[in-house]
Amino acid sequence: MKYLPFVFKHLRRNWVRTGSTVVAMAVCIFLLCTLRSVLAEVDSMLAASSASRLVTRHSVSLTFNLPVAYEARIQSVPGVKSVARTIWFGGSLPAKKEGQADGGTDSTTDWSNFFNNMGVDADKFFPMYPELTIAPDQWQSFRETRQGCVVGSKLAKKFNWKVGDRFFLESFIPPYRRRSGPFEFVVSGVYEADLAKYPGTDVSTMYFHYEYVKEGLGREIGVGTYMVEIENGDRAAVVGKAIDALFENSSATSITETEQAFKAGFIAMAGNLALLLNGIGLAVAFTILLVTANTMSMAVRERRTEIGVLKTLGFSSAHVMGFVVGEALLLGVLGGALGVFGSQGLLYGLSVLPGVNELLAGIGLSGLQLKPEVAALGFFIAVALGLFAGLIPALSAYRARITDILRTV
Amino acid sequence: MTTMVSVKDVTKVYKRGAEELTVLDSLNLDVPEGEFVALMGPSGSGKTTLLNLIAGIDRPTKGAVVVGGKDIAVLSEGDLAKWRSRNVGFIFQFYNLIPVLSAVENVELPLLLTKLSRKERRERALTALKIVGLADRSSHYPRQLSGGQEQRVAIARAVVTDPQVLVADEPTGDLDAKSAEEILNLMETLNRDFKKTIVMVTHDPRAAERAHVQRHLEKGVLLQR
Ligand SMILES: Nc1ncnc2c1ncn2[C@@H]1O[C@H](COP(=O)(O)OP(=O)(O)O)[C@@H](O)[C@H]1O
Ligand SMILES: [Mg+2]
Repeated sequence: MKYLPFVFKHLRRNWVRTGSTVVAMAVCIFLLCTLRSVLAEVDSMLAASSASRLVTRHSVSLTFNLPVAYEARIQSVPGVKSVARTIWFGGSLPAKKEGQADGGTDSTTDWSNFFNNMGVDADKFFPMYPELTIAPDQWQSFRETRQGCVVGSKLAKKFNWKVGDRFFLESFIPPYRRRSGPFEFVVSGVYEADLAKYPGTDVSTMYFHYEYVKEGLGREIGVGTYMVEIENGDRAAVVGKAIDALFENSSATSITETEQAFKAGFIAMAGNLALLLNGIGLAVAFTILLVTANTMSMAVRERRTEIGVLKTLGFSSAHVMGFVVGEALLLGVLGGALGVFGSQGLLYGLSVLPGVNELLAGIGLSGLQLKPEVAALGFFIAVALGLFAGLIPALSAYRARITDILRTV
Repeated sequence: MTTMVSVKDVTKVYKRGAEELTVLDSLNLDVPEGEFVALMGPSGSGKTTLLNLIAGIDRPTKGAVVVGGKDIAVLSEGDLAKWRSRNVGFIFQFYNLIPVLSAVENVELPLLLTKLSRKERRERALTALKIVGLADRSSHYPRQLSGGQEQRVAIARAVVTDPQVLVADEPTGDLDAKSAEEILNLMETLNRDFKKTIVMVTHDPRAAERAHVQRHLEKGVLLQR
């Protein structure tokens, strides 16, 4: 296209304006792509949660545990199939080993190696999760080993763990710490999930025996969350209410919600997350549209004479309009490309940065990445914004009459 | 000698809401091929309007404008644009070069509408710059040139497509005496050596002297010679 250099020259001449418009556009697209990617990941995580699984927790906060005695009472509620106690252990690989004196507060926690680990009542917990698969011999060995644990395939790969490997975990939660130091675990098995069938399933968690930690601490530790499997997913709300009604007048009241709702709450953003993020994205996009439209109409107003001259030289109205649209489009393309690359850079950076990746995986966002369709959407929106912003100035350039523009009276 | 420009019984009325302003009133003008005409008259007498009609920038309310044997008053806006790009070169009072383009790029601009290759376009533009004596300034930008030089670049741009007719609206109006002299010399050369038919609007009697014919416009009517 022989007119392209012409359009480029204008953008280069006003490089401050061009630069700031492109950067504004890039920031918009960057936010959009990044937010969309996070949302998509949250969605897939929620979709992976079963509606027939409920989570019962302390009504005050996740940091308070419920009494163990609640298990039998929850089990007695009509519609409940099975109840499994769990604790979120919050353990990480410590610098010190079991047997060494006092873990204490001075023992350093290596956050870069943080991963999700939970103590569960294995015989009840795993049957609730048909999406998780373990080889039968490994499962058997896990059940029979007090210190045994099963680790997700992704986690096993990361630490290069094989069956029989031993490691220590120390919790950062005071009630789960003990004077004699960290807990030792042995890998009994590796669990996997059919990610094609159950996309978003977490395979980065380590599960161990609840009883092992309880005995190791030598006291009751209560239950962080009860996983409750119900007969009929459609009756989740009713069953949940019935469970909470049991403990209404006790000192530890409960909240029961579906696993989906629980997870959404767990990443500290309510169900309005999507709405909020989309709202921000939309507001930003609209602002950028105004900025770009303003830039373009400034560019066109400044160049009224030039437009008159071009038309005098024989360039048609369509030509002149094309120049203006081309310029706006180019702003969109540059801004879009920059924004998409920025987002890709950030999401990739997060996925390889030590510590961050594990923290994300810890809240179930292990697969955070810029999907091609999100990148394409971001780029498309940038181009559309550019086009839209250039439209009105382009039309005014199209309509402008030479005799009106070039009058010098 | 054949007639190059023939303005026949042309009336131009500008409408401003309900108000009608008759700028040109049943005007007739013939310019033979190879002629150099100076168009004079007080401000607001309709000189620019007449020039715009001859150059195919505007269309008359009534009458015919025949240039090179073609009635351009009946052409559509798009056809008129195409016609302009091939048949007429326009020289403005304020040069109207494109500031982001260098001298040679400015001159090359009208050639973008032709089928010429990149190389041919550049060659022709450089030739045109040579004719106006600015070959050594081809990569300069308008702001790096003096007023007289800018106008010479503008003239190169007007002749680069080799049109038969040049129209100039007060081409020396914004220039000092010396630069004006150079521009007028150049126009004379274009008329004499390159056989361009020139219609030039001017206020300046010394500029008008350089033309072969001087016509006076007063309130939309050409005074009889
Ligand atoms: N596009 C236009 N719309 C309305 N009136 C115009 C327009 N162009 C010129 N005129 C009017 O027509 C008259 C002649 O203008 P013009 O041809 O520019 O005169 P000159 O060039 O001789 O000074 C003036 O009164 C001017 O105000
Ligand atoms: Mg005038």
